[in-house]
Amino acid sequence: MANSLHIENVVAGYGAARVLDGVSISVSAGETVGLLGTNGNGKSTLIKCIMGMVQPTAGTIRVEDDGRSVDLVGQTPEQVVESGIVLVPEGRRLFPDLTVGENMMLGAYRRTARADVERNRALCFDAFPVLKERQNQLAGSMSGGEQQMLAIARALMSSPKILIVDEPSVGLAPILVGRMMTKIKELKDQYGLTVLMAEQNFHQASRIVDRAYVIVGGRIAFEGKSAEELRNNELVKQYYLGGEA
Amino acid sequence: MLGGFYASVALGLTLVFGLLNIVNIAHPAFVVLGSFLVYAANAQWGVDPIAMGVILTPLFFLLGMATYSVYHASFEKRDNESLRGLAFFFGLMFIIEVGLILQYGVDYRLVNAPYIGKVINLGSVTLPLRMLVPFCVALVMALGIFLFLSRTYLGRAIRAVAQDQLALQLVAADPVRIKRIAFGIAIATACVAGALLIVINPVEPAAGRVYIGRIFAIVVLGGMGSVRGTVAAAIVLGIVESVTSTIYSPSWAPAVAFGFLLFALAVRPAGLLRR
Ligand SMILES: Nc1ncnc2c1ncn2[C@@H]1O[C@H](COP(=O)(O)OP(=O)(O)OP(=O)(O)O)[C@@H](O)[C@H]1O
Ligand SMILES: [Mg+2]
Repeated sequence: MANSLHIENVVAGYGAARVLDGVSISVSAGETVGLLGTNGNGKSTLIKCIMGMVQPTAGTIRVEDDGRSVDLVGQTPEQVVESGIVLVPEGRRLFPDLTVGENMMLGAYRRTARADVERNRALCFDAFPVLKERQNQLAGSMSGGEQQMLAIARALMSSPKILIVDEPSVGLAPILVGRMMTKIKELKDQYGLTVLMAEQNFHQASRIVDRAYVIVGGRIAFEGKSAEELRNNELVKQYYLGGEA
Repeated sequence: MLGGFYASVALGLTLVFGLLNIVNIAHPAFVVLGSFLVYAANAQWGVDPIAMGVILTPLFFLLGMATYSVYHASFEKRDNESLRGLAFFFGLMFIIEVGLILQYGVDYRLVNAPYIGKVINLGSVTLPLRMLVPFCVALVMALGIFLFLSRTYLGRAIRAVAQDQLALQLVAADPVRIKRIAFGIAIATACVAGALLIVINPVEPAAGRVYIGRIFAIVVLGGMGSVRGTVAAAIVLGIVESVTSTIYSPSWAPAVAFGFLLFALAVRPAGLLRR
């Protein structure tokens, strides 16, 4: 299962405001790649470009799927998801007035995921037992941590080939952030996923990523080939270890 | 018994107004359009009215999808849906009414079927079949819609679409398509409701208007988008109305019913049953 994502010189923004200024990143099959940066540097905007939620004004976004190269620019989010790239969005975006179980079942709306719905459900309940207990509770009445689990479960129900996670740590207690990262790593190994994860929490993210890009002001400021290289980089030290340590 | 008919009309509006937040005040006009097509088939070929109502559902489904497409292209997409959208449905209501008047005149029309005019006796109560049959059909239709909304992928997507359209796109569902289908289904139920209406009593082209307020009130009272709540609210309203008209006079019924609805909403703002 070869699935990789290739983004080259993407320029994008909102109206007159340019947010991404020629971003190039790639994610190879089976990798976990971090997209690190503090608030407002363009992490979510890049993810929106991949998902077809924002159209780049220049650059290419391609996915290699079993030797075929598919151009994602100009596709709608539905089409991108249908091709196997699934997002756990910033802010989770659950359906608050539907139950936990119904939110998960909506994840399986994707045509190719419907055949695997029972297997995926069992795997999700296995990974997050609390979701099984709370199946009939409204998603909007769950705690932040539980909602994040549900958001990940809903994405897994779509049988993703490439999973994109936008800031899974937001709103979680520090102890839960660590657990969430470990969980993402476990799921990645279990499902054989390819993962792109945006995060500001450098310490926790660097525990699970194979390599990472640091995005500053809409440009890739640094590319760490390994978690080690990342930790030892001056820029990263200045950005993170000085700031939030 | 009348509650069953109310439920059949309110069901479509539960989908469109309760779940999609589209204020389709032309819904009762579609119901009356259904009544007249059923009448035409019955008068011409003697087709059973309710069977005809069911036969016409695919046609109404397409009509509903087309209506939504026009509404979407001209209002929703341009983000000025509320007031001008209301004008659109108001206009649609007039077009349907005037069309019916031009075709059939302003007279009351009625249908013939074996069960109209028969009664069954249960001890001291007599139940006219022309009330009982529509009641049962309405309940079956409500059950069907309930199962569709809770058990199918499409049904769940219809319930989700007003909550977060982008999130729906992120599970590979096209919100516009989902809404178009939901609207089509709603209008298809209007056709069956139209058949029930003309079985219960004679119908004239503007007959839908009396129901507009009542039907919207039922949807709100039912908890906006809950099928079970809609059926419960419709039956309660039907009972309140018939009790009022036997104790006082039929002309009081709508006023008392509305008083009751306002009271119920004051006590339970979220509707009778919470979704
Ligand atoms: N819908 C929008 N309209 C206009 N500007 C926007 C919009 N969304 C984001 N921006 C701007 O684009 C810039 C980058 O935002 P983006 O959401 O990509 O940052 P981020 O790296 O994801 O930050 P965070 O960690 O806070 O989520 C910010 O300056 C933001 O104000
Ligand atoms: Mg962000």
